[in-house]
Amino acid sequence: MSEVTGSYAAPAGAGATAGVIHDIGYQRYTGRRLSRRYSALSMYTHSVRTAYGLGRSGKAKIFPFIVVGIVFAVAVIAVVLRSQFGRVFINYLQLADGVTAPLLLFVAVIAPELVSRDLRAHTLPLYFSRPISRSDYAFAKYAAAATAMWLLLACPMLLMYIGGLFSQNGGFAGAWRETTEFLQGLGYAAIFGLIYAAISVLIASLASRRAVAAGAIVGVFLVTAPVVGVLTSFGGDTLQKVAPLLNPVTLVQGLQVWLFGGNGPDIGSFGPLYGAVGVALIGVCLMLLLARYRRVS
Amino acid sequence: MNLTVARITARALLGRRRFLLLVPLPILVIGLTILAKAVAPDSADQWGLAIINGLGIHVLLPIVALIVGTAVLGAEIDDGTIVHILAKPLHRREIILAKLAVAVAVTVVVSAVPMFIAGAVAVSPRYGLGLVVGCVIGSLAYCSFFVLLSLLTRRPVLLGLLYVLLWESLLTNLLSSTRVLSVAHYSIAVAESVGGSPHLLTTRVSVPLALVMTGVFTLVGTLLAIDRLRSFTLTGETS
Repeated sequence: MSEVTGSYAAPAGAGATAGVIHDIGYQRYTGRRLSRRYSALSMYTHSVRTAYGLGRSGKAKIFPFIVVGIVFAVAVIAVVLRSQFGRVFINYLQLADGVTAPLLLFVAVIAPELVSRDLRAHTLPLYFSRPISRSDYAFAKYAAAATAMWLLLACPMLLMYIGGLFSQNGGFAGAWRETTEFLQGLGYAAIFGLIYAAISVLIASLASRRAVAAGAIVGVFLVTAPVVGVLTSFGGDTLQKVAPLLNPVTLVQGLQVWLFGGNGPDIGSFGPLYGAVGVALIGVCLMLLLARYRRVS
Repeated sequence: MNLTVARITARALLGRRRFLLLVPLPILVIGLTILAKAVAPDSADQWGLAIINGLGIHVLLPIVALIVGTAVLGAEIDDGTIVHILAKPLHRREIILAKLAVAVAVTVVVSAVPMFIAGAVAVSPRYGLGLVVGCVIGSLAYCSFFVLLSLLTRRPVLLGLLYVLLWESLLTNLLSSTRVLSVAHYSIAVAESVGGSPHLLTTRVSVPLALVMTGVFTLVGTLLAIDRLRSFTLTGETS
């Protein structure tokens, strides 16, 4: 009995060095370590795809693609009208203005989709335990929302541009004019995306429930619109030209009037003010967004 | 109608942070009215129209009704506490009626007070009273519709916003015959007939039609909601 026990018992001196428990093949990671920028970029591309429901269930694709369908339908109508009647009924800038309501709904749905779900599902600690920083996360989400908005307008505009190139008959000069108008349209789409996304992502980052976030985003746009109407109804000349600053929709239209000379609110000589307010709005929203993500967990 | 359910609902509604969303809108309406009266007392028909129609009937009333109407039942469905009420030996009708009564009462108080002030300052106290009646009509129809929505879908706020934004704001301005199915125009029709002259708002919907349609909205909404709650299944979070 004592023999058997002795053979199993570890010798008092040798045990510490010779004892091997089990080697199940743990190894250090020796591959290339990708940079912080790489993970931020991955977050960005993933978020743009999320906005359109790509890589997600079919149910998540329904709403984004209904909006895509609406915007493309307007673009197709514009191309057909132009080729049939030989003049422009809906130009690039008017396309963006015409689909403002669907665009607003789109951003009100995708911003909570990008931001609120992470709050709700408590995935933020997982992200922040990686090399990606809090500001990287905030910027990636904002850039993704803005890009999704921009793509929503830019792709139908590209269709209109191709249609416009073929139906214009001004030769090279006509094609050049078409190109500059197209580029203006892309710029306007970028303004749309940057301003709408800044407001929406900020609001969405404050609410963990998607429905509440969507409601609050639409609410901000919806409530400020009649305020502009009220102020212009009794205000003097200056107030009438400054009041559109209060609503993001009319602010963006005012920027369009200033930069591209399209149709929109009468802004008089306050164009630079609109530019300054637009830039300040984006800046303030981003700063608040960063402040929000500095604390949230 | 069960008073305990009503009391719990009211407490849950008013005790939440979400209720703070309801505060800025009435203040905005009252503040703008006072500001406009101080700046331009002569052009009351212009800013009165903008405040009462643009801000009051088309934004304040539907948004307040949407927040309240989807919260009374939707919030309980979302956080799962609806189980506790459903497990009690109560008729489902009583639950719906209690919730609906609270929703309508809160909506009326939050929307009618600023509207009365706006109407009284812009036109006359009688016109303000007309707007109060209009708000009651609108609250009844909107709340029963939104309570029903919160039972039919998991995203009642989104669908409600679609109705308010696309149907009422966009479509009724483009295609005037859709006004027959627009709650805002029922409110306008009733408010105008009670408020008497001078008329500020116009609608093509006649008063009897508005009353009948409000009744239809309220009744159908309530009955369908009772029916849906009767066969209510608990589900998890939507993906």
